[in-house]
Amino acid sequence: MRVVALGATATLALTAAAACGSDEADGDGKTITFVAAEYSDKTEPYWQDLVSRFEKANPGLKVDLQVISWDDIDGHVQNLVLNDKAPDLLNLNKFADFAEDGLLYKAGDVLPKEVLDDFIPSFAESSKFEGEQYGLPFIASARLLFYNKDLFAKAKISEPPKTWDELKEAAKKISDLPGDAIGYGLPLGPEEAQGEFQIWINSNGGHWVDDQGNWTIDSPENLETLQFLKSMVDEGLTQPNPAKTDRADVIEAFAAGRIGMIRGLPQTHNNIADQGNKFEYGIAPNPVAEEGMEPSTLGVQDYLMAFDNGKGAQETLRKFLTFFYQEENYSKFITTEGFLPTTQSASEALSDDEKMKPFVEALPQAKFYPVTDPKWTAVDGAVKQQIGKAVQGTDPKKVLEQLQKTAEG
Amino acid sequence: MRAHPIRTAVIAALAWLVAFFVLAPYLYMFVTALKPRSEVFTFPQGYLPETWQWSNFVEVWDRIPLFEYLRNTLIIAGLSTVLAVAVALPAAYYTARRRFRGRRAFLLLVLVTQMFAPTALVIGIFREMKVLGLTDTYLALILTNAGFNLAFSIWILHAYFSSIPVELEEAALLDGCGRLAALAKVTLPLAVPGVITAVIFTFIAAWNEFIVALTLTTDADTQPLTVGITSFIGEYQVQWQYLFAASLVAVVPVVVLFAFIERYLVSGLTAGSIKG
Amino acid sequence: MTATSKTVPASAATGVGKAGGPPTGKPGAGRPSPGRGKRPGTDHPLTPLLWLGPALLLIAGVVLWPVVEMVLTSVREVSRAGVIRGWAGLENFEALFDEPDLVPVLIRTLIWVVGVVGVTLLISLGLAQLLNARFPGRKLVRWAMIVPWAASVVMTAIVWRWILDFFHGMGNTILLDLGLIDAPRDWLGEPGLAWLWLMWVAVFVSLPFTTYVLLAGLQTIPGDVYEAAQVDGASRWRTYRTITLPLLKPAVLVATVINVINVFNSFPIIWAMTRGGPGHDTDTTTTFMFKLLRLDKEVGQSAAMAVLNFLMIVVMVLFYLKAVRWKEVD
Repeated sequence: MRVVALGATATLALTAAAACGSDEADGDGKTITFVAAEYSDKTEPYWQDLVSRFEKANPGLKVDLQVISWDDIDGHVQNLVLNDKAPDLLNLNKFADFAEDGLLYKAGDVLPKEVLDDFIPSFAESSKFEGEQYGLPFIASARLLFYNKDLFAKAKISEPPKTWDELKEAAKKISDLPGDAIGYGLPLGPEEAQGEFQIWINSNGGHWVDDQGNWTIDSPENLETLQFLKSMVDEGLTQPNPAKTDRADVIEAFAAGRIGMIRGLPQTHNNIADQGNKFEYGIAPNPVAEEGMEPSTLGVQDYLMAFDNGKGAQETLRKFLTFFYQEENYSKFITTEGFLPTTQSASEALSDDEKMKPFVEALPQAKFYPVTDPKWTAVDGAVKQQIGKAVQGTDPKKVLEQLQKTAEG
Repeated sequence: MRAHPIRTAVIAALAWLVAFFVLAPYLYMFVTALKPRSEVFTFPQGYLPETWQWSNFVEVWDRIPLFEYLRNTLIIAGLSTVLAVAVALPAAYYTARRRFRGRRAFLLLVLVTQMFAPTALVIGIFREMKVLGLTDTYLALILTNAGFNLAFSIWILHAYFSSIPVELEEAALLDGCGRLAALAKVTLPLAVPGVITAVIFTFIAAWNEFIVALTLTTDADTQPLTVGITSFIGEYQVQWQYLFAASLVAVVPVVVLFAFIERYLVSGLTAGSIKG
Repeated sequence: MTATSKTVPASAATGVGKAGGPPTGKPGAGRPSPGRGKRPGTDHPLTPLLWLGPALLLIAGVVLWPVVEMVLTSVREVSRAGVIRGWAGLENFEALFDEPDLVPVLIRTLIWVVGVVGVTLLISLGLAQLLNARFPGRKLVRWAMIVPWAASVVMTAIVWRWILDFFHGMGNTILLDLGLIDAPRDWLGEPGLAWLWLMWVAVFVSLPFTTYVLLAGLQTIPGDVYEAAQVDGASRWRTYRTITLPLLKPAVLVATVINVINVFNSFPIIWAMTRGGPGHDTDTTTTFMFKLLRLDKEVGQSAAMAVLNFLMIVVMVLFYLKAVRWKEVD
């Protein structure tokens, strides 16, 4: 007991001493803190340059920049909010749970009308929470089928598959080749399982939610999809353990020429080039479950969001955001990082890039994660941990029901 | 015991085999660090690089602020160690030499401290450092590392002091030295192996600490190497060759340090292994 | 007798020998009784604070404060975004106990600790014996033995993960070349196999410390004990069992306690190699707790898990100490 008392005293003493230590200067809202995600090693230099140009153009205003790697940004932001130290501006792949907690400015509060109108409508639409736009569409990405033309030629497949049956057929022919080539790379490991799974359920007409926003994770379409994937795994057409294979592993193995087909994103071009372009490859629309269905793509959208921390930084935020969304500043970010734009002006400016073209063309059919539902954060975490097991032993139906419960609970 | 030549040969062979197995993963680290990226992703893997890409070891300094990371790690680990040992010394000495009320409670508290892992406490640690305004400072990491490794230092030093006969000190006292002088002139020099053991232990723990640093630091001015090199594990690619090159740059100095003080380590632990 | 004796002044060495000497194996038997010096007057009641104050301050400020925060968080309701909504009573604990994965994770943690610490001790006993023998190059071998300790656990785990990689791993290459397997295997993908490899890496990084503690223990055993045994004509194995092992008991005890604590709390190995996956199939309570926090965003539940985690380790250590009938810290 005595020890406890001593501890408490010491703690108090430390707390008292701490009161003298200063925290970030809030003051008059002329300084804003900005936590940005690190997309690549070019991200930080880009923001540093933008911030210094902004500060030069707006004397007296300051942007306190922190660029944090994707792996820890979630945890870091969680810590900040937990301690009432939310940043003023944040760049992340979700926004709804912050909106739900009433932490965010509405988009209209921090952006002038002309910028709001410049967003591509579908992106603006998926930035709303309960009918109000809180998220600021930041970057977009899409996923398409990448296939190894050399392996296809060896296996005597003339065309990229358009349907699941054709895909399975092609995967089988490639797996049957002498050597250890893998038909299809299926990354259902914790890193990005939700992405791979959504591509599959969308191509079978399924989704996480229906048009009214009710959760439909355990729908018959999704169960059918999972059973199809399980059959691919059971027949040895994928790499052996999808539940633990992460996307980066699969992309690198594809780039090394060991896999016939994967879902790739614009950056996949770089992976292949970095390994010295070991083979010829092509890009095709995502195969659909039945002939006649419309191909879709997984649209991934990241956001900027402005926190209302009650320190009157609204005006500074508006100036900085307007500065960022100027066409040349914004386009520079998009091209540096290899993403797709979410504004109309930048789309026009970037429409003639060959490697990006198939992705830009696929965007109109893009389906997004249900990020506008604050529950998505929990579902996303659960899917990452559980969906892989459904193709590796656990009953797919049970897994989907469990996820549905997480979503509704 | 009289050594039989064949027996010695068998022992030596066995020992060398063990050494090879222990070193093998690090040799592979070295080999991978020397491969160009196109060779990193091949199968079967080449036992040796086809092209020896020594430039990886040069380029890694440009890819990340490796120098800053090393400097930060050195400062953090160094000062954590100094703090932990400086705080542990008086506590260990006093508990080894004197009986007083609360002694048992104190030693129990120390044992309990040892059982807490910073990993389990990241939320609390972050909260505390935010309150103190210490996030993104060396001090936060120094305090945390010192605090969580204090228990081992106290324990090993306590054991070591206990193993030094009181009579030696008393002799010095009779010679007219004060208690502090006796401590400084007689006991402390005898306790050097114990101190070195405590130093190594704390230093290594601080050098390797990852989770707390990940939570408390966000920019290259304060991030230690363990966190810094994770930027080679990107969203779409892992730069294995650079990751391992940077790791080796970090590991080699510690291994060399260890080689120098290995002999103290055994004698330092000797006391601990008897006393508990 | 060894390098050690040269570095420790003879007086200290004899002190050590004296303490370890009695074959009763009771630690502390030869401890000099504190306070026996008839110094003029006893210490003022507040004097201990002077000596222990800095340590207490550091422990209170750095360890206990976050502990209090952790306990508080475990009874709070925290939104997924991280906003504290109010008190939750024991709801977080109830939700935690409702997790279907909790019991398997607890069982696995127990296997993890017992398995890793047990195997580490067995191997280390052999290694310590080996490194205590004389042979050419002993210094270098001992030095090599330290490397996994000096190299960070994160690095070591990452290099093992890369060795065991399904697509590009050196492990598969070697095993194929040796003809031990006929197709590459995904060592970290199958839960059972992955589990064994994780345990192996945990053993691998625990070996140096454990071996050194035992090596230190061996050096306290006076040579004449063995000579007496030899005169009696006892076999080597018998000598080891009846003389060496009992005398090593204190060292084994220390190595076990420290290892149990470290292995139980071990995070980087599992995190770097499998992230506890697939699913929760290779999670221990420590990684499970971290996933509750970062993936499921259940801050309160994660804190509840941390509290449970701590209680478990206290029980485990006390149980062990009780089992070996160790008289508390002195």
